[in-house]
Amino acid sequence: MTTVAEPRRFRRIAVFGGVYANAHALAATLDDVGRRDVDAVFCLGDLGGFGPHPDRVFPLLRDGRVRAIQGNYDAAIALGHDDCGCGYTDPRDNHYARLSYAYTVARTSSEHRRWMGALPAHRRLRLGDAEALLCHGSPRAIAEFLWESTTPDGLVARLLDDARAQVILCTHSGIKWHRRLADGRHLVNVGVIGRPENDGTPRVWYTLLTMDRGSHGELDVEFVPVHYDHETLAGEMEAEALPPEFVETVRTGWWTTCLEVLPGRERARGRF
Amino acid sequence: MDTPASAGRLTPAPPATVAFRHLTALWVQITGTFCNLQCVHCINASGPREPWLAPLAADTARRYIAEAAALGVKEIYFTGGEPFLHAEILDLLAFSLERAPTTVLTNGTLIDDAMADALAALAAGARYSLEIRVSLDDPDAERNDAIRGPGAFRRALAAITRLDARGMLPILTATEIDGRGAAPGEDRYGRLRALLLEAGVRKPRVKMLPVFPVGRMAGQGGGVVTAEMLAGADPARLQCTESRAVATGGVYVCPILSGFPQARMAGATLAETLVPNRLDHPACRVCWETGSSCRNA
Repeated sequence: MTTVAEPRRFRRIAVFGGVYANAHALAATLDDVGRRDVDAVFCLGDLGGFGPHPDRVFPLLRDGRVRAIQGNYDAAIALGHDDCGCGYTDPRDNHYARLSYAYTVARTSSEHRRWMGALPAHRRLRLGDAEALLCHGSPRAIAEFLWESTTPDGLVARLLDDARAQVILCTHSGIKWHRRLADGRHLVNVGVIGRPENDGTPRVWYTLLTMDRGSHGELDVEFVPVHYDHETLAGEMEAEALPPEFVETVRTGWWTTCLEVLPGRERARGRF
Repeated sequence: MDTPASAGRLTPAPPATVAFRHLTALWVQITGTFCNLQCVHCINASGPREPWLAPLAADTARRYIAEAAALGVKEIYFTGGEPFLHAEILDLLAFSLERAPTTVLTNGTLIDDAMADALAALAAGARYSLEIRVSLDDPDAERNDAIRGPGAFRRALAAITRLDARGMLPILTATEIDGRGAAPGEDRYGRLRALLLEAGVRKPRVKMLPVFPVGRMAGQGGGVVTAEMLAGADPARLQCTESRAVATGGVYVCPILSGFPQARMAGATLAETLVPNRLDHPACRVCWETGSSCRNA
């Protein structure tokens, strides 16, 4: 497992996860980030899956100087796995997952596959005086889901201890949240920009993290909504014959598939 | 003298030993093997008469839950027997929910309106998720009750709809038990999901589990897991690399083997039991081959 350490200290960074081949949301996110006076932009992985034309996100990441780590989907595509490895019980979910995976594999160039294969598993950086660890699922497992309602404080403290960090940034679950422990350490799930977060609106979210000299060592976490041309994305998905259930999610903001991984509390907030 | 099973074979490969990774789940076998049902496939042969394993003292449960939380556990599960037969179950759930997300595995028969109200209030006031998993094995009432006992289907479904009406989203949990009239290759998951939708449950949740050769199913298949099988595979497939179970008698290697003397781990504290273990029970092979988790997801 590789970890890349950033040599310089940052004041403000922008971080997002789960691009899911949504080039429209990625372009809108980078556009918004460009107006926010950030030192660097990070992506916590899962570049493909779900959306159309997976190769379109790579030039945007390159031009935006986005520093990425590897998600479980990127690892599966790069290593040529048979499927995304989600292992759903619902045959319907497996059907959609297979369709989407086969589509993404067939349309990801070998150059981009190699690039994803070379991405580090983790990055470490200094945000002000705080040491931050960037991972995909959790520091201990690339495909571990960290949901707000099922991640106890004791686990957050343990993950921070093991990572020797004051801040952990993760994604993978698709819904953003932030926990500040009583001792001032943080875990932030930065959310995803490729798919709305099951809240009934088509917008997506990225995260700004700031450690100003004036903030007395207190990390400022701001979740930023991004509105993008989701109707154009939906039209492209239809033209590519991607599952109508996925298109519905893009248009409505409600998750329609792969719901069994959601804990009760998060599931209760959605429509399905 | 050779028995027929060993004649002509080389010495069988010994069971593998796996390292412990991290404590994800603590299972609390709160009522031992005391249950008001007596299902034909029960993994620990629970029942109403003369349970072979006594209920766990509430203070012991609290001590292990607190230790698990301090060790960074992710989830606590209450099981049995039937957990709602424990006199202090609501207090214990409240204690657990202050520390970690908590799930109860139940047959649903004791969840009347008052209990459903109490659970919904507990869930609404808790910091972390409270999940209720209600066991029901077959979408056909008659076939289900042949496995779980007369009236089990109706009462389990009633519990699910009571909890659902209070916004709890219970998880129907079924085993893949065969040979009782189920058509081979049938989509049991799909049929259970349809059953829930038909009962008015708008966000159906179904969890499938394999049948393990232990308890009332002892001797029916399975086998040890050898080092050769483990080579190059993901140890996360095995729950004993990330779970422990506490029951009367101490800490046990996993929820499936909880309470069985041969599965007991040495050590007075939970921390002392987070050490490598041998995959030497027939149930280990089922866990390994199916890669299925007793956890919710």
